[in-house]
Amino acid sequence: MTSPSEASPVGPSDSAAALLRAAAREVVDVAVTLREVAGHATAALTDGELLRGLPRAPAEGRSACRALLRATTGRRGLGYALTGGPLVTLAAKVGAMAGAENLVVRVLATSLRLRIAAVAVDHPELAEDPMIARLVDAAAADRDLEAVRALRALLKDRGAVRGLSGLAPVFGEVLALRALLDENPLNDATAWLIATGRGRATADPITGISNRAIAVLDTGEGAARRTDLSDAESARLGDRGSLLGFLGNISVIGSTGRILVQSVQGPDGVVRHVVQVPGMAGLLDGDSPQDLLGAFSSAVLDSSPYSRALARAVADYGLPEGAEVALVGHSAGGAAIMNLAQDSGFCARFTVTHVIAVGSPVDFKRPADPRTWVASVTNQHDIIPTLDGQGAGNCFDLNPGWYVVDYYDSSHLFPLCHRLEHYIDNLARDLPEARDHIDDRLAPYRGRVVRSQAYQLFDRAPDPAGFPFLTVPTYSLDGSVELPIRCRRGSALTALFAADREAVAGVLEGTGFGPLLVAGRALVAMHAAWNRDTSFGGYREAHLGVVVPGPGRSPSLWPDLLRSAGRRRSGSLLVGSAVDTEAVHAVAPRLWGGETHLEPVDVRLAAGRARVSVGDAFTLSGRLGPFLPVGDRDLVGYTAGTGAGTLRSCVRVRGPGRLHPLPLLRLTAEPGSAHPLAERVRALGLDGASPLLSLSSPARQTLRDAAVPLHPRDRPPVAGEVSPSCW
Amino acid sequence: MPVEHAAHAEVLRSDARALAACAERLREIGARLDAAGVAPPWLRASVNAHVAACVAAVADLDEAATRLHRYAARSRP
Repeated sequence: MTSPSEASPVGPSDSAAALLRAAAREVVDVAVTLREVAGHATAALTDGELLRGLPRAPAEGRSACRALLRATTGRRGLGYALTGGPLVTLAAKVGAMAGAENLVVRVLATSLRLRIAAVAVDHPELAEDPMIARLVDAAAADRDLEAVRALRALLKDRGAVRGLSGLAPVFGEVLALRALLDENPLNDATAWLIATGRGRATADPITGISNRAIAVLDTGEGAARRTDLSDAESARLGDRGSLLGFLGNISVIGSTGRILVQSVQGPDGVVRHVVQVPGMAGLLDGDSPQDLLGAFSSAVLDSSPYSRALARAVADYGLPEGAEVALVGHSAGGAAIMNLAQDSGFCARFTVTHVIAVGSPVDFKRPADPRTWVASVTNQHDIIPTLDGQGAGNCFDLNPGWYVVDYYDSSHLFPLCHRLEHYIDNLARDLPEARDHIDDRLAPYRGRVVRSQAYQLFDRAPDPAGFPFLTVPTYSLDGSVELPIRCRRGSALTALFAADREAVAGVLEGTGFGPLLVAGRALVAMHAAWNRDTSFGGYREAHLGVVVPGPGRSPSLWPDLLRSAGRRRSGSLLVGSAVDTEAVHAVAPRLWGGETHLEPVDVRLAAGRARVSVGDAFTLSGRLGPFLPVGDRDLVGYTAGTGAGTLRSCVRVRGPGRLHPLPLLRLTAEPGSAHPLAERVRALGLDGASPLLSLSSPARQTLRDAAVPLHPRDRPPVAGEVSPSCW
Repeated sequence: MPVEHAAHAEVLRSDARALAACAERLREIGARLDAAGVAPPWLRASVNAHVAACVAAVADLDEAATRLHRYAARSRP
C-alpha cells in the first residue's frame, strides 16, 4: 500500500510506472515491426520464383538464397525468425521446440519485464520479495527448470493462496514470459496476444490448450424461470437505485444461479431497468450457466449460455422496445453482461445505457452500442480479471472511453479480494471518488425501486418437474384426489425381516395368502416413506407386510422381485399401515386398502443412520451399515379381507437406492403399547428384531395409483373404482 | 521473374531502414528511462543486445537485398 487511504486507484499520475508502461508499449511497437520485417524476409526466401530462376543465374541465385537464409535465421540478427504460411509456421514451431530463439521474442520479453517493473512501482513487495524476484528472473532468462523450482518454492513457502496472491499483479506477464520463451509452440500465439495487447488470450499460456476448445463444452440456448426470493432476501434488497445498492442486491441473491431484474423510477419520472448479475455459483453444475465452464465461456466467447439466459430473463420481464437498461455484474456476471451488451440484436431492442463490471475479465469485449457507458472496477490482486490476459501490468489503452478503476488495497489475498463483499467494502470506504463518479453517471437510475423480479438461470430450458417419469395421464378419484399421486421428491426405507412361519401363518389366516418361505422362514417387510413433495401434498407413510408369492402359482422369488410392478406377482400382504395426514388417511382404503391408522410418522435417513417411528406403536432405528448402489425398486402390495375383496396396489419408483446387506437396525414395539401396529409387531415375533437387509432411497420419485381388485367380477363395481383392465 | 526479385529487394531495403529506426528507438527508450532514474538494472544490457541484433539484422537485410538485385539483373532474359 503506497497511499494513506486503504485502497489506491492506479492512474496516470504514477510517473515512474507511467514511464515504464509507455516504454513497454513502445518496445511492443518495435517487436511488431521486427515481426513484419521477418515476415517479408521469409516471403522472399520462400517465393517459388527464387528457385525457378536458378538455371539462368545459378551462382547469383544461390548467393541470394544464402543471404535470405542468414537474414531469417542468423543468430546475430533476427534469430530464427521464420514466419508466414502453414509450412513456414510448422518449421518455426519445430525450431521453437528445438529452443531456437528470435529477436522478436527477446524484445517482447523486454516489454513484459518493463510491465512487471511498472507494477512493482505500486507493489514494491514484488521486487523486495526474493522468491517472486527469483521466479521473474528465471522466467525472463528462459531458465525453465529454475522457473518451475522458483514457483514450487514460492507455493511451498507461502501456500497456494498466498503464493498466487503475491504474484497476482504480474500473473499475466509472468505466464506470458514463460510462454514466449519456453519450447512449447502451442502457447506462442497466446503469449503474443498478451504481450502485444492485440486480443484476449486464446489459449492456456502454460499448456497452450485452446480456450475455445474448452469453452465450446458449455452448450445451451440459455433459459430463465421466474423465482421468488425468500422474505429475508426481499427485505435486504435496496429500495433505491445506486451503485452500492445494486452491488448489495447481487450480494443478497448470492451465487445461487439466480439474477435480479429491477425497475427504478428515476428523478425525471422515467422508469428504467437494471439487470443485476452475480458471478460463478459452483464448480460444476450441469444445469446452471453460472458454473466454472459458464464463467470460462463467458470470459473467452462473445456469447455464452449465461448471456443468452440473461437475454431470456429480460425478455420475460417484459420491457418495452427501446427501454433504457443498465447492466451490473460481478466476476463471471460482468463478463456475461458485457456479452449481452455486445449482442447487437439485444441492443437493437433495448437501449443499454450503462455496463458496470466488477472484478471481471472484460478488456476485450466491446458494447454494440457505442453510446453505452462502461465502468470496470478491478483489484490488482484479483486474478479473475486477468484471465483475458491483461492485468495490472497492462500498458495499452485498450478502451479509451471506459471508466476504469484499477486499484489495490492492503488485503493481498486471493480469492478474498475477489469477493463481491470485498469490492463493496472498498467502494464504500476506500474509493469514494470512483464510487461517486459511477453514481453520478447512474443518476437516471437513482430513484425508487418500483419492481423486482428474480430469475433462476439454466443452460437450457429445464424439463417440467419430474419429466418424463411423472408426466403421465391423470384422473380424478371421486373428485377427492387426482391419481396417480405423483411424488417429485421423497425418501424411503424398506427393511426385510426373517419371521417365524407359524407366527406369520397366524396373522395370514383367512386371507387366502401363504407366506413366501426362504430357508424355512417367512419374510416380513417394513416400508416407510417420506413423500415430501407430491401432487397430494407432503405426507409420510409406514406399512408392515408379509412377503407373499402373489395369487395363483408361485413365482421364482428373486427374478420376480427384479420385475417392474406391472409384471410382478409377489408383493407384501399389508397387515398394518399408518399415514400422518388426514387427506391421505381418507383415501387410503382406495390407495391400498386394509387397516390404516392416522398417526405421527417419522422417517429420517441421514449420515448413515435411519429412524422410523409410528406414533406410540413401534420404532425402527440404528445404523444402516455399508451399502451397494442399486436402483430403487417398485413396490407391490396386497390387502385381503376388505369389502372390495383382495386388492393389489403398486408404487412405481424411480431413483437411486442403496442395498444395505448388514444393517444394524432394530425394530421395537413401544413397551406397554396397545396400538394395533405394536400388537402386529409382537404377533409377528419381530419386537427387538434386526432386519436381514434393508434398502434405503435418499431421493426418489414415485407414482402411486389406486388399488385394483383382483377379482372384480366377484361383486358389483363401485362408482369411481378403477378396473384392472386399466393396467 | 526478375521483377519479383527486385520487388522483394526493395522491401528488404525499406525493412533495413525500419530496423535501423527500431535500433535508434530502443536506444532512446533506454536513455529516457535512464535519465528519469526508473530504468531497471537489467535494461541497459537488454537494450544493448537488442540494438546489436538490430544492427546485425540491418546488415543481413541489406546484403540480402543487394544479392537479390544482382540475381534479378542476371536472370533477366
